[in-house]
Amino acid sequence: MSVVKILILSSVLALAIVFPHIAPYEGLASEVLIFMLFAMAYDLVLGDAGMLSFGHAAFFGLGAYTAGIFLIRVYSSVLLALLGGVIVASIAAFLIGAACIRRRGIYFTMVTLAFAQMFYFIAFKWTGLTGGDDGLQNVPRPDLGPFDLGSELTLYYFILVLVGLSVIVIVRVVNSPFGKTLQALRENRDRAMSIGYDVDRYRLIVFIISGFFSGLAGGCYALLLNFVPLSSLYWTTSGEVVVMTIAGGMGTLFGPALGALGIILLRDIISNYTESWSLFMGLLFMAAVLGFRGGIMGIVRDKLKLPI
Amino acid sequence: MTAQFVLMQLFNGLILGSLYVLLALGLSIIFGTLGIINFAHGAFFMLGAYIAYTITTYLMPSFWVALIGVPIAMTLFGATCELFLFRRLYALPPLYIMLLTFGLMLVLQDTVRMIYGSMGVPFRTPGSLTGAVNLGFMYYPTYRLFLIIVTAVCSLGVWLFLSRTKVGAMIRAGTDNSQMVDALGINISRIITLVVALGTGLAGLAGVLAAPIQNVRYLMGMDFLIDCFVVVVIGGMGSIGGSILGGLIVGEIIAVGVMVWPPMAHTLIYLFMAVFLLTRPRGLFGREAFHD
Repeated sequence: MSVVKILILSSVLALAIVFPHIAPYEGLASEVLIFMLFAMAYDLVLGDAGMLSFGHAAFFGLGAYTAGIFLIRVYSSVLLALLGGVIVASIAAFLIGAACIRRRGIYFTMVTLAFAQMFYFIAFKWTGLTGGDDGLQNVPRPDLGPFDLGSELTLYYFILVLVGLSVIVIVRVVNSPFGKTLQALRENRDRAMSIGYDVDRYRLIVFIISGFFSGLAGGCYALLLNFVPLSSLYWTTSGEVVVMTIAGGMGTLFGPALGALGIILLRDIISNYTESWSLFMGLLFMAAVLGFRGGIMGIVRDKLKLPI
Repeated sequence: MTAQFVLMQLFNGLILGSLYVLLALGLSIIFGTLGIINFAHGAFFMLGAYIAYTITTYLMPSFWVALIGVPIAMTLFGATCELFLFRRLYALPPLYIMLLTFGLMLVLQDTVRMIYGSMGVPFRTPGSLTGAVNLGFMYYPTYRLFLIIVTAVCSLGVWLFLSRTKVGAMIRAGTDNSQMVDALGINISRIITLVVALGTGLAGLAGVLAAPIQNVRYLMGMDFLIDCFVVVVIGGMGSIGGSILGGLIVGEIIAVGVMVWPPMAHTLIYLFMAVFLLTRPRGLFGREAFHD
Protein backbone atom coordinates (compact mmCIF):
# COMPACT_ATOMS: atom_id res chain seq x y z
CA MET A 1 0.00 0.00 0.00
CA SER A 2 1.36 3.34 -1.02
CA VAL A 3 1.45 6.36 1.28
CA VAL A 4 -1.26 8.10 -0.76
CA LYS A 5 -3.60 5.16 -0.39
CA ILE A 6 -3.09 5.00 3.36
CA LEU A 7 -3.69 8.74 3.57
CA ILE A 8 -6.92 8.54 1.58
CA LEU A 9 -8.14 5.49 3.47
CA SER A 10 -7.52 6.97 6.90
CA SER A 11 -9.14 10.28 6.01
CA VAL A 12 -12.21 8.47 4.63
CA LEU A 13 -12.37 6.46 7.85
CA ALA A 14 -12.05 9.59 9.98
CA LEU A 15 -14.74 11.29 7.93
CA ALA A 16 -17.04 8.28 8.29
CA ILE A 17 -16.61 8.40 12.08
CA VAL A 18 -17.40 12.10 12.45
CA PHE A 19 -20.01 12.12 9.66
CA PRO A 20 -23.12 11.76 11.90
CA HIS A 21 -21.92 14.76 13.92
CA ILE A 22 -21.57 17.04 10.92
CA ALA A 23 -24.59 15.76 8.91
CA PRO A 24 -27.84 17.74 9.36
CA TYR A 25 -29.18 14.88 11.49
CA GLU A 26 -27.93 11.41 12.40
CA GLY A 27 -30.58 9.49 10.48
CA LEU A 28 -29.49 11.20 7.27
CA ALA A 29 -25.93 9.96 7.80
CA SER A 30 -27.21 6.40 8.16
CA GLU A 31 -29.34 6.80 5.04
CA VAL A 32 -26.29 7.92 3.10
CA LEU A 33 -24.40 4.80 4.21
CA ILE A 34 -27.28 2.53 3.23
CA PHE A 35 -27.59 4.00 -0.24
CA MET A 36 -23.81 3.94 -0.69
CA LEU A 37 -23.94 0.20 -0.15
CA PHE A 38 -26.97 -0.15 -2.44
CA ALA A 39 -25.30 1.85 -5.22
CA MET A 40 -22.04 -0.09 -4.96
CA ALA A 41 -23.94 -3.37 -5.05
CA TYR A 42 -25.85 -2.12 -8.08
CA ASP A 43 -22.68 -1.08 -9.85
CA LEU A 44 -21.42 -4.66 -9.73
CA VAL A 45 -24.16 -5.44 -12.24
CA LEU A 46 -24.12 -2.24 -14.28
CA GLY A 47 -20.51 -1.12 -14.16
CA ASP A 48 -18.65 -4.38 -13.98
CA ALA A 49 -20.93 -6.71 -15.90
CA GLY A 50 -22.55 -4.08 -18.15
CA MET A 51 -26.13 -5.17 -17.46
CA LEU A 52 -28.67 -2.36 -17.04
CA SER A 53 -31.04 -3.70 -14.42
CA PHE A 54 -34.13 -1.67 -13.63
CA GLY A 55 -35.34 -4.15 -11.05
CA HIS A 56 -33.04 -3.65 -8.10
CA ALA A 57 -35.86 -2.19 -6.04
CA ALA A 58 -37.05 -5.81 -5.77
CA PHE A 59 -33.94 -6.87 -3.83
CA PHE A 60 -33.78 -3.73 -1.73
CA GLY A 61 -37.49 -3.89 -0.94
CA LEU A 62 -37.51 -7.63 -0.26
CA GLY A 63 -34.57 -7.21 2.11
CA ALA A 64 -36.43 -4.45 3.92
CA TYR A 65 -39.77 -6.25 4.09
CA THR A 66 -38.26 -9.57 5.15
CA ALA A 67 -36.18 -7.99 7.90
CA GLY A 68 -39.19 -5.98 9.08
CA ILE A 69 -41.62 -8.89 9.03
CA PHE A 70 -39.05 -11.10 10.78
CA LEU A 71 -38.61 -8.58 13.60
CA ILE A 72 -42.35 -8.09 14.02
CA ARG A 73 -43.56 -11.68 13.76
CA VAL A 74 -40.75 -14.16 14.19
CA TYR A 75 -37.93 -13.27 16.50
CA SER A 76 -36.49 -10.12 17.96
CA SER A 77 -32.93 -10.27 16.69
CA VAL A 78 -31.41 -7.65 14.43
CA LEU A 79 -28.72 -9.89 13.02
CA LEU A 80 -31.07 -12.77 12.23
CA ALA A 81 -33.56 -10.34 10.66
CA LEU A 82 -30.88 -8.88 8.40
CA LEU A 83 -29.72 -12.38 7.54
CA GLY A 84 -33.28 -13.32 6.61
CA GLY A 85 -33.57 -10.27 4.39
CA VAL A 86 -30.30 -11.04 2.67
CA ILE A 87 -31.31 -14.66 2.06
CA VAL A 88 -34.70 -13.76 0.59
CA ALA A 89 -33.16 -11.05 -1.61
CA SER A 90 -30.50 -13.48 -2.85
CA ILE A 91 -33.08 -16.15 -3.65
CA ALA A 92 -35.14 -13.57 -5.56
CA ALA A 93 -32.00 -12.52 -7.43
CA PHE A 94 -31.35 -16.13 -8.29
CA LEU A 95 -34.89 -16.68 -9.58
CA ILE A 96 -35.14 -13.43 -11.54
CA GLY A 97 -31.60 -13.91 -12.79
CA ALA A 98 -32.25 -17.47 -13.89
CA ALA A 99 -35.29 -16.31 -15.87
CA CYS A 100 -33.71 -13.35 -17.64
CA ILE A 101 -29.93 -13.55 -17.49
CA ARG A 102 -29.75 -14.95 -21.00
CA ARG A 103 -31.64 -11.96 -22.37
CA ARG A 104 -29.28 -9.30 -23.63
CA GLY A 105 -29.40 -5.56 -23.55
CA ILE A 106 -32.81 -4.02 -23.44
CA TYR A 107 -34.67 -7.28 -22.96
CA PHE A 108 -32.83 -7.71 -19.69
CA THR A 109 -33.76 -4.17 -18.65
CA MET A 110 -37.46 -4.63 -19.42
CA VAL A 111 -37.76 -7.99 -17.80
CA THR A 112 -35.99 -7.02 -14.57
CA LEU A 113 -38.29 -4.00 -14.33
CA ALA A 114 -41.38 -6.11 -14.93
CA PHE A 115 -40.44 -8.71 -12.32
CA ALA A 116 -39.67 -6.03 -9.75
CA GLN A 117 -43.09 -4.56 -10.45
CA MET A 118 -44.58 -7.99 -9.74
CA PHE A 119 -43.16 -7.91 -6.20
CA TYR A 120 -44.51 -4.41 -5.81
CA PHE A 121 -48.00 -5.59 -6.73
CA ILE A 122 -47.80 -8.54 -4.37
CA ALA A 123 -46.74 -6.30 -1.48
CA PHE A 124 -49.43 -3.80 -2.43
CA LYS A 125 -52.22 -6.40 -2.39
CA TRP A 126 -51.07 -8.67 0.45
CA THR A 127 -52.07 -6.17 3.10
CA GLY A 128 -52.27 -8.76 5.89
CA LEU A 129 -48.55 -9.38 5.71
CA THR A 130 -47.10 -6.14 4.37
CA GLY A 131 -49.51 -3.42 5.38
CA GLY A 132 -50.20 -2.68 1.71
CA ASP A 133 -50.24 0.95 0.70
CA ASP A 134 -49.47 2.16 4.25
CA GLY A 135 -46.21 0.25 4.33
CA LEU A 136 -45.01 -2.03 7.11
CA GLN A 137 -45.52 -0.06 10.30
CA ASN A 138 -43.76 -0.28 13.67
CA VAL A 139 -40.68 -2.29 12.87
CA PRO A 140 -38.94 -2.70 16.24
CA ARG A 141 -35.25 -2.07 16.74
CA PRO A 142 -34.15 -4.47 19.51
CA ASP A 143 -30.80 -4.16 21.30
CA LEU A 144 -27.81 -5.92 19.87
CA GLY A 145 -26.02 -7.49 22.82
CA PRO A 146 -24.77 -4.58 24.94
CA PHE A 147 -25.56 -1.99 22.23
CA ASP A 148 -28.73 0.05 22.36
CA LEU A 149 -29.67 0.40 18.71
CA GLY A 150 -32.54 2.64 19.74
CA SER A 151 -29.96 5.43 19.73
CA GLU A 152 -29.56 6.87 16.23
CA LEU A 153 -25.83 7.29 16.77
CA THR A 154 -25.28 3.67 17.81
CA LEU A 155 -27.34 2.52 14.85
CA TYR A 156 -25.14 4.62 12.56
CA TYR A 157 -21.99 2.94 13.81
CA PHE A 158 -23.62 -0.48 13.56
CA ILE A 159 -24.54 0.23 9.92
CA LEU A 160 -21.05 1.65 9.35
CA VAL A 161 -19.51 -1.64 10.44
CA LEU A 162 -21.86 -3.64 8.20
CA VAL A 163 -21.29 -1.36 5.20
CA GLY A 164 -17.53 -1.32 5.83
CA LEU A 165 -17.37 -5.12 5.82
CA SER A 166 -19.54 -5.24 2.70
CA VAL A 167 -17.33 -2.74 0.90
CA ILE A 168 -14.27 -4.85 1.68
CA VAL A 169 -16.02 -7.88 0.18
CA ILE A 170 -17.18 -5.90 -2.88
CA VAL A 171 -13.66 -4.56 -3.49
CA ARG A 172 -12.30 -8.08 -3.21
CA VAL A 173 -14.91 -9.33 -5.68
CA VAL A 174 -14.17 -6.61 -8.23
CA ASN A 175 -10.41 -7.12 -8.04
CA SER A 176 -10.57 -10.91 -7.98
CA PRO A 177 -10.09 -13.06 -11.07
CA PHE A 178 -13.88 -13.37 -11.03
CA GLY A 179 -14.27 -9.59 -11.26
CA LYS A 180 -11.68 -9.35 -14.01
CA THR A 181 -13.50 -12.04 -15.95
CA LEU A 182 -16.74 -10.08 -15.64
CA GLN A 183 -15.06 -7.00 -17.06
CA ALA A 184 -13.74 -9.12 -19.90
CA LEU A 185 -17.27 -10.39 -20.60
CA ARG A 186 -18.54 -6.81 -20.62
CA GLU A 187 -15.86 -5.63 -23.03
CA ASN A 188 -15.98 -8.51 -25.46
CA ARG A 189 -18.47 -11.23 -24.84
CA ASP A 190 -17.69 -13.28 -27.93
CA ARG A 191 -14.00 -13.46 -27.20
CA ALA A 192 -14.59 -14.39 -23.56
CA MET A 193 -16.95 -17.12 -24.71
CA SER A 194 -14.53 -18.50 -27.22
CA ILE A 195 -11.82 -18.66 -24.56
CA GLY A 196 -14.22 -20.92 -22.74
CA TYR A 197 -15.89 -18.83 -20.07
CA ASP A 198 -19.47 -19.72 -19.24
CA VAL A 199 -20.86 -16.19 -19.70
CA ASP A 200 -24.32 -16.80 -18.29
CA ARG A 201 -22.98 -18.42 -15.15
CA TYR A 202 -20.72 -15.47 -14.39
CA ARG A 203 -23.53 -13.02 -15.02
CA LEU A 204 -25.89 -14.96 -12.79
CA ILE A 205 -23.38 -15.13 -9.94
CA VAL A 206 -22.68 -11.40 -10.00
CA PHE A 207 -26.42 -10.73 -10.16
CA ILE A 208 -26.91 -12.79 -7.00
CA ILE A 209 -24.01 -11.07 -5.20
CA SER A 210 -25.52 -7.74 -6.13
CA GLY A 211 -28.94 -8.88 -4.89
CA PHE A 212 -27.32 -10.05 -1.63
CA PHE A 213 -25.86 -6.63 -0.79
CA SER A 214 -28.94 -4.80 -2.04
CA GLY A 215 -30.97 -6.92 0.37
CA LEU A 216 -28.60 -6.03 3.21
CA ALA A 217 -29.00 -2.34 2.40
CA GLY A 218 -32.77 -2.83 2.39
CA GLY A 219 -32.73 -4.56 5.77
CA CYS A 220 -30.73 -1.69 7.28
CA TYR A 221 -33.23 0.74 5.75
CA ALA A 222 -36.10 -1.00 7.59
CA LEU A 223 -34.16 -0.67 10.86
CA LEU A 224 -33.37 2.97 10.22
CA LEU A 225 -36.92 4.04 9.45
CA ASN A 226 -38.66 1.66 11.90
CA PHE A 227 -40.93 1.25 8.93
CA VAL A 228 -40.87 -0.11 5.37
CA PRO A 229 -42.46 2.18 2.79
CA LEU A 230 -44.20 0.46 -0.13
CA SER A 231 -42.18 2.75 -2.40
CA SER A 232 -39.05 0.76 -1.49
CA LEU A 233 -40.30 -1.83 -4.01
CA TYR A 234 -41.46 0.67 -6.62
CA TRP A 235 -39.59 1.39 -9.85
CA THR A 236 -38.64 4.84 -8.54
CA THR A 237 -36.25 3.16 -6.10
CA SER A 238 -34.61 1.31 -8.99
CA GLY A 239 -34.39 4.59 -10.89
CA GLU A 240 -32.79 6.31 -7.94
CA VAL A 241 -30.02 3.77 -7.58
CA VAL A 242 -29.36 4.00 -11.32
CA VAL A 243 -29.00 7.78 -11.17
CA MET A 244 -26.69 7.50 -8.12
CA THR A 245 -24.49 5.09 -10.02
CA ILE A 246 -24.42 7.14 -13.22
CA ALA A 247 -23.89 10.41 -11.36
CA GLY A 248 -21.01 8.90 -9.42
CA GLY A 249 -19.47 7.21 -12.43
CA MET A 250 -20.34 3.64 -13.30
CA GLY A 251 -17.71 0.97 -13.07
CA THR A 252 -15.47 3.15 -10.91
CA LEU A 253 -15.99 1.13 -7.70
CA PHE A 254 -16.23 4.11 -5.31
CA GLY A 255 -17.92 6.50 -7.71
CA PRO A 256 -21.45 5.14 -7.06
CA ALA A 257 -20.90 5.64 -3.31
CA LEU A 258 -20.02 9.29 -3.97
CA GLY A 259 -23.09 9.52 -6.20
CA ALA A 260 -25.25 8.17 -3.39
CA LEU A 261 -23.75 10.66 -0.94
CA GLY A 262 -24.36 13.56 -3.31
CA ILE A 263 -27.88 12.56 -4.22
CA ILE A 264 -29.12 11.83 -0.70
CA LEU A 265 -27.72 15.13 0.56
CA LEU A 266 -29.11 17.00 -2.45
CA ARG A 267 -32.53 15.42 -1.94
CA ASP A 268 -32.48 16.46 1.70
CA ILE A 269 -31.66 20.05 0.78
CA ILE A 270 -34.15 20.26 -2.09
CA SER A 271 -37.00 18.70 -0.15
CA ASN A 272 -36.76 21.60 2.29
CA TYR A 273 -37.90 23.91 -0.47
CA THR A 274 -40.09 21.94 -2.84
CA GLU A 275 -41.92 18.65 -3.31
CA SER A 276 -40.60 18.28 -6.82
CA TRP A 277 -37.67 16.04 -6.07
CA SER A 278 -38.42 13.75 -8.97
CA LEU A 279 -38.30 16.69 -11.39
CA PHE A 280 -34.79 17.43 -10.15
CA MET A 281 -33.85 13.80 -10.38
CA GLY A 282 -35.10 13.71 -13.96
CA LEU A 283 -33.10 16.80 -14.88
CA LEU A 284 -30.07 15.31 -13.14
CA PHE A 285 -30.51 12.13 -15.17
CA MET A 286 -30.65 14.08 -18.42
CA ALA A 287 -27.75 16.34 -17.46
CA ALA A 288 -25.62 13.37 -16.45
CA VAL A 289 -26.32 11.61 -19.72
CA LEU A 290 -25.94 14.64 -21.98
CA GLY A 291 -23.19 16.44 -20.12
CA PHE A 292 -20.97 14.44 -17.82
CA ARG A 293 -21.17 10.77 -18.65
CA GLY A 294 -18.14 9.87 -16.56
CA GLY A 295 -19.95 11.05 -13.42
CA ILE A 296 -18.21 12.55 -10.41
CA MET A 297 -15.33 10.11 -10.72
CA GLY A 298 -14.94 10.99 -14.40
CA ILE A 299 -14.64 14.66 -13.54
CA VAL A 300 -12.15 13.92 -10.79
CA ARG A 301 -10.12 11.80 -13.15
CA ASP A 302 -10.18 14.06 -16.22
CA LYS A 303 -10.10 17.53 -14.74
CA LEU A 304 -7.98 17.03 -11.67
CA LYS A 305 -5.81 14.34 -13.26
CA LEU A 306 -5.91 12.20 -10.14
CA PRO A 307 -4.96 8.58 -10.68
CA ILE A 308 -8.05 6.93 -9.24
CA MET B 1 -71.05 -15.79 -12.63
CA THR B 2 -73.33 -15.53 -15.62
CA ALA B 3 -72.32 -15.95 -19.23
CA GLN B 4 -73.28 -12.32 -19.73
CA PHE B 5 -70.77 -11.22 -17.08
CA VAL B 6 -68.00 -13.37 -18.51
CA LEU B 7 -68.63 -11.95 -21.98
CA MET B 8 -68.69 -8.41 -20.63
CA GLN B 9 -65.41 -9.02 -18.88
CA LEU B 10 -63.82 -10.46 -22.02
CA PHE B 11 -64.87 -7.32 -23.88
CA ASN B 12 -63.30 -5.22 -21.14
CA GLY B 13 -60.13 -7.20 -21.66
CA LEU B 14 -60.32 -6.23 -25.30
CA ILE B 15 -60.48 -2.54 -24.31
CA LEU B 16 -57.43 -2.78 -22.11
CA GLY B 17 -55.75 -4.84 -24.81
CA SER B 18 -56.50 -2.16 -27.42
CA LEU B 19 -54.70 0.46 -25.36
CA TYR B 20 -51.75 -1.89 -24.91
CA VAL B 21 -51.69 -2.44 -28.66
CA LEU B 22 -51.43 1.28 -29.44
CA LEU B 23 -48.64 1.75 -26.91
CA ALA B 24 -46.78 -1.42 -27.79
CA LEU B 25 -46.84 -0.56 -31.51
CA GLY B 26 -45.02 2.71 -30.87
CA LEU B 27 -42.66 1.11 -28.37
CA SER B 28 -41.90 -1.63 -30.83
CA ILE B 29 -41.14 0.51 -33.89
CA ILE B 30 -38.98 2.88 -31.83
CA PHE B 31 -37.14 -0.12 -30.47
CA GLY B 32 -36.73 -1.50 -33.96
CA THR B 33 -35.05 1.61 -35.33
CA LEU B 34 -33.10 2.89 -32.33
CA GLY B 35 -32.53 -0.30 -30.40
CA ILE B 36 -33.76 1.30 -27.18
CA ILE B 37 -36.68 1.06 -24.81
CA ASN B 38 -38.33 4.40 -24.64
CA PHE B 39 -39.04 4.88 -20.94
CA ALA B 40 -40.77 8.15 -21.75
CA HIS B 41 -43.38 6.30 -23.79
CA GLY B 42 -45.70 5.98 -20.81
CA ALA B 43 -45.24 9.65 -20.07
CA PHE B 44 -46.19 10.47 -23.69
CA PHE B 45 -49.36 8.44 -23.15
CA MET B 46 -50.10 10.34 -19.92
CA LEU B 47 -49.34 13.64 -21.63
CA GLY B 48 -51.84 12.75 -24.37
CA ALA B 49 -54.57 12.28 -21.77
CA TYR B 50 -53.74 15.57 -20.03
CA ILE B 51 -53.60 17.54 -23.28
CA ALA B 52 -57.01 16.11 -24.16
CA TYR B 53 -58.25 17.21 -20.74
CA THR B 54 -56.83 20.70 -21.25
CA ILE B 55 -58.36 21.04 -24.71
CA THR B 56 -61.81 19.85 -23.73
CA THR B 57 -61.90 21.80 -20.47
CA TYR B 58 -60.30 25.12 -21.33
CA LEU B 59 -60.22 25.54 -25.10
CA MET B 60 -63.04 23.84 -26.87
CA PRO B 61 -65.40 21.36 -25.22
CA SER B 62 -65.21 18.86 -28.04
CA PHE B 63 -63.78 15.38 -27.71
CA TRP B 64 -63.36 15.19 -31.49
CA VAL B 65 -61.02 18.16 -31.56
CA ALA B 66 -58.94 16.47 -28.88
CA LEU B 67 -59.02 13.16 -30.72
CA ILE B 68 -57.51 14.78 -33.81
CA GLY B 69 -55.43 17.47 -32.12
CA VAL B 70 -53.62 15.42 -29.48
CA PRO B 71 -51.99 12.89 -31.82
CA ILE B 72 -50.82 15.78 -34.03
CA ALA B 73 -49.43 17.70 -31.06
CA MET B 74 -47.73 14.58 -29.70
CA THR B 75 -46.28 13.72 -33.10
CA LEU B 76 -44.64 17.15 -33.20
CA PHE B 77 -43.51 16.73 -29.61
CA GLY B 78 -41.94 13.37 -30.43
CA ALA B 79 -40.12 14.85 -33.42
CA THR B 80 -38.82 17.66 -31.20
CA CYS B 81 -37.52 15.19 -28.61
CA GLU B 82 -35.77 13.20 -31.30
CA LEU B 83 -34.21 16.21 -32.99
CA PHE B 84 -33.00 17.99 -29.88
CA LEU B 85 -32.37 15.22 -27.34
CA PHE B 86 -32.04 11.69 -28.68
CA ARG B 87 -30.00 12.75 -31.68
CA ARG B 88 -27.08 13.88 -29.55
CA LEU B 89 -26.51 10.38 -28.25
CA TYR B 90 -26.57 8.13 -31.31
CA ALA B 91 -22.81 7.75 -31.34
CA LEU B 92 -22.89 6.23 -27.85
CA PRO B 93 -24.10 2.84 -26.57
CA PRO B 94 -27.94 2.65 -26.49
CA LEU B 95 -27.80 2.62 -22.69
CA TYR B 96 -27.44 6.40 -22.65
CA ILE B 97 -30.55 7.14 -24.71
CA MET B 98 -32.54 4.84 -22.46
CA LEU B 99 -31.33 6.70 -19.40
CA LEU B 100 -32.15 9.97 -21.12
CA THR B 101 -35.71 8.82 -21.78
CA PHE B 102 -35.98 7.75 -18.14
CA GLY B 103 -35.00 11.26 -17.06
CA LEU B 104 -37.40 12.75 -19.58
CA MET B 105 -40.18 10.59 -18.14
CA LEU B 106 -39.52 11.85 -14.62
CA VAL B 107 -39.44 15.46 -15.80
CA LEU B 108 -42.70 15.16 -17.75
CA GLN B 109 -44.47 13.35 -14.92
CA ASP B 110 -43.44 15.79 -12.26
CA THR B 111 -44.21 18.81 -14.43
CA VAL B 112 -47.73 17.49 -14.96
CA ARG B 113 -48.05 16.84 -11.23
CA MET B 114 -47.04 20.41 -10.46
CA ILE B 115 -49.54 21.86 -12.92
CA TYR B 116 -52.54 19.57 -12.41
CA GLY B 117 -51.90 18.19 -8.93
CA SER B 118 -51.35 14.63 -7.82
CA MET B 119 -55.03 13.71 -7.41
CA GLY B 120 -55.86 13.25 -11.08
CA VAL B 121 -58.46 15.10 -13.09
CA PRO B 122 -62.04 14.16 -14.07
CA PHE B 123 -62.69 13.35 -17.70
CA ARG B 124 -66.20 12.73 -18.96
CA THR B 125 -67.20 10.44 -21.77
CA PRO B 126 -68.01 12.58 -24.84
CA GLY B 127 -71.76 13.24 -25.14
CA SER B 128 -72.33 11.61 -28.50
CA LEU B 129 -70.68 8.40 -27.31
CA THR B 130 -72.50 7.89 -24.02
CA GLY B 131 -75.07 5.18 -23.59
CA ALA B 132 -74.90 1.59 -24.70
CA VAL B 133 -75.28 -0.35 -27.89
CA ASN B 134 -77.30 -3.51 -28.26
CA LEU B 135 -74.98 -6.10 -29.73
CA GLY B 136 -77.72 -8.70 -29.99
CA PHE B 137 -76.42 -10.81 -27.14
CA MET B 138 -75.70 -7.98 -24.70
CA TYR B 139 -75.58 -4.24 -24.19
CA TYR B 140 -72.14 -2.66 -24.31
CA PRO B 141 -71.09 0.96 -23.62
CA THR B 142 -70.87 2.89 -26.90
CA TYR B 143 -67.62 4.59 -26.02
CA ARG B 144 -65.83 1.32 -25.39
CA LEU B 145 -67.01 -0.09 -28.67
CA PHE B 146 -65.79 3.08 -30.36
CA LEU B 147 -62.38 2.62 -28.72
CA ILE B 148 -62.07 -0.92 -30.03
CA ILE B 149 -62.92 0.22 -33.56
CA VAL B 150 -60.52 3.18 -33.54
CA THR B 151 -57.70 0.95 -32.32
CA ALA B 152 -58.43 -1.68 -34.93
CA VAL B 153 -58.42 0.95 -37.70
CA CYS B 154 -55.20 2.52 -36.44
CA SER B 155 -53.39 -0.80 -36.07
CA LEU B 156 -54.45 -1.73 -39.57
CA GLY B 157 -53.28 1.67 -40.79
CA VAL B 158 -49.87 1.31 -39.17
CA TRP B 159 -49.52 -2.18 -40.54
CA LEU B 160 -50.46 -1.08 -44.07
CA PHE B 161 -48.16 1.92 -43.82
CA LEU B 162 -45.21 -0.22 -42.79
CA SER B 163 -45.83 -3.11 -45.15
CA ARG B 164 -47.24 -1.41 -48.28
CA THR B 165 -45.66 2.03 -48.63
CA LYS B 166 -42.19 3.01 -49.73
CA VAL B 167 -41.48 4.92 -46.54
CA GLY B 168 -42.67 1.89 -44.59
CA ALA B 169 -40.22 -0.25 -46.48
CA MET B 170 -37.44 2.18 -45.60
CA ILE B 171 -38.40 1.98 -41.94
CA ARG B 172 -38.40 -1.79 -42.01
CA ALA B 173 -35.04 -1.77 -43.79
CA GLY B 174 -33.71 0.61 -41.14
CA THR B 175 -34.83 -1.85 -38.50
CA ASP B 176 -32.81 -4.59 -40.12
CA ASN B 177 -29.64 -2.70 -40.91
CA SER B 178 -29.58 1.06 -40.57
CA GLN B 179 -25.99 1.43 -41.82
CA MET B 180 -26.82 -0.36 -45.04
CA VAL B 181 -29.89 1.84 -45.55
CA ASP B 182 -27.71 4.87 -45.03
CA ALA B 183 -25.18 3.56 -47.53
CA LEU B 184 -27.93 3.10 -50.10
CA GLY B 185 -28.55 6.82 -50.06
CA ILE B 186 -31.63 7.00 -47.87
CA ASN B 187 -31.64 9.71 -45.26
CA ILE B 188 -31.77 7.46 -42.21
CA SER B 189 -31.85 10.29 -39.69
CA ARG B 190 -35.08 11.57 -41.24
CA ILE B 191 -36.50 8.06 -41.00
CA ILE B 192 -35.60 7.92 -37.30
CA THR B 193 -37.30 11.26 -36.65
CA LEU B 194 -40.38 9.97 -38.45
CA VAL B 195 -40.46 6.75 -36.42
CA VAL B 196 -40.11 8.48 -33.06
CA ALA B 197 -42.76 11.01 -34.09
CA LEU B 198 -45.14 8.27 -35.24
CA GLY B 199 -44.63 6.23 -32.06
CA THR B 200 -45.19 9.27 -29.87
CA GLY B 201 -48.31 10.17 -31.84
CA LEU B 202 -49.71 6.68 -31.25
CA ALA B 203 -48.97 6.97 -27.54
CA GLY B 204 -50.79 10.33 -27.52
CA LEU B 205 -53.76 8.78 -29.31
CA ALA B 206 -53.86 5.98 -26.73
CA GLY B 207 -53.83 8.69 -24.04
CA VAL B 208 -56.88 10.50 -25.47
CA LEU B 209 -58.77 7.26 -25.92
CA ALA B 210 -57.93 6.09 -22.39
CA ALA B 211 -58.86 9.38 -20.72
CA PRO B 212 -62.64 8.76 -20.43
CA ILE B 213 -62.25 5.25 -19.02
CA GLN B 214 -59.00 5.35 -17.05
CA ASN B 215 -58.06 7.38 -14.03
CA VAL B 216 -56.25 10.41 -15.52
CA ARG B 217 -53.31 10.72 -13.13
CA TYR B 218 -49.73 11.78 -13.56
CA LEU B 219 -48.51 8.26 -12.73
CA MET B 220 -50.85 6.46 -15.16
CA GLY B 221 -48.20 6.18 -17.86
CA MET B 222 -45.41 4.29 -16.14
CA ASP B 223 -47.66 1.56 -14.80
CA PHE B 224 -49.13 1.11 -18.26
CA LEU B 225 -45.68 1.10 -19.80
CA ILE B 226 -44.45 -1.72 -17.60
CA ASP B 227 -47.45 -3.79 -18.68
CA CYS B 228 -46.44 -3.00 -22.26
CA PHE B 229 -43.01 -4.50 -21.58
CA VAL B 230 -44.84 -7.72 -20.83
CA VAL B 231 -46.74 -7.28 -24.11
CA VAL B 232 -43.60 -6.95 -26.20
CA VAL B 233 -41.85 -9.81 -24.44
CA ILE B 234 -44.83 -12.03 -25.23
CA GLY B 235 -45.44 -10.69 -28.73
CA GLY B 236 -41.82 -10.45 -29.75
CA MET B 237 -39.95 -7.16 -29.89
CA GLY B 238 -39.95 -5.37 -33.21
CA SER B 239 -42.94 -7.25 -34.61
CA ILE B 240 -46.16 -5.43 -35.53
CA GLY B 241 -48.27 -8.58 -35.42
CA GLY B 242 -46.67 -9.52 -32.12
CA SER B 243 -47.56 -6.18 -30.56
CA ILE B 244 -51.18 -6.56 -31.61
CA LEU B 245 -51.63 -10.15 -30.54
CA GLY B 246 -49.53 -9.70 -27.38
CA GLY B 247 -51.54 -6.63 -26.38
CA LEU B 248 -54.84 -8.44 -26.75
CA ILE B 249 -53.56 -11.51 -24.88
CA VAL B 250 -52.31 -9.45 -21.93
CA GLY B 251 -55.57 -7.49 -21.80
CA GLU B 252 -57.56 -10.71 -21.72
CA ILE B 253 -55.32 -12.29 -19.08
CA ILE B 254 -55.98 -9.36 -16.77
CA ALA B 255 -59.72 -9.50 -17.52
CA VAL B 256 -59.88 -13.22 -16.78
CA GLY B 257 -57.69 -12.73 -13.70
CA VAL B 258 -60.13 -10.15 -12.36
CA MET B 259 -62.92 -12.74 -12.59
CA VAL B 260 -60.93 -15.51 -10.95
CA TRP B 261 -58.85 -13.86 -8.25
CA PRO B 262 -59.00 -10.04 -8.35
CA PRO B 263 -56.04 -9.15 -6.06
CA MET B 264 -53.61 -11.17 -8.14
CA ALA B 265 -54.99 -10.29 -11.59
CA HIS B 266 -52.04 -8.10 -12.35
CA THR B 267 -49.44 -10.51 -11.03
CA LEU B 268 -50.68 -13.13 -13.47
CA ILE B 269 -49.25 -11.34 -16.49
CA TYR B 270 -45.76 -11.35 -14.97
CA LEU B 271 -45.99 -15.05 -14.30
CA PHE B 272 -47.16 -15.53 -17.87
CA MET B 273 -44.16 -13.51 -19.02
CA ALA B 274 -41.83 -15.71 -16.95
CA VAL B 275 -43.27 -18.81 -18.60
CA PHE B 276 -42.72 -17.25 -22.02
CA LEU B 277 -39.15 -16.31 -21.18
CA LEU B 278 -38.32 -19.83 -20.16
CA THR B 279 -40.08 -21.64 -22.98
CA ARG B 280 -40.14 -19.24 -25.93
CA PRO B 281 -37.76 -16.37 -25.18
CA ARG B 282 -38.19 -14.63 -28.52
CA GLY B 283 -41.94 -14.26 -28.01
CA LEU B 284 -44.65 -15.15 -30.49
CA PHE B 285 -43.30 -13.43 -33.60
CA GLY B 286 -39.94 -12.09 -32.51
CA ARG B 287 -36.88 -12.60 -34.61
CA GLU B 288 -33.94 -14.43 -33.11
CA ALA B 289 -31.42 -11.76 -34.00
CA PHE B 290 -33.03 -9.14 -31.79
CA HIS B 291 -31.98 -10.34 -28.41
CA ASP B 292 -28.49 -11.48 -29.04
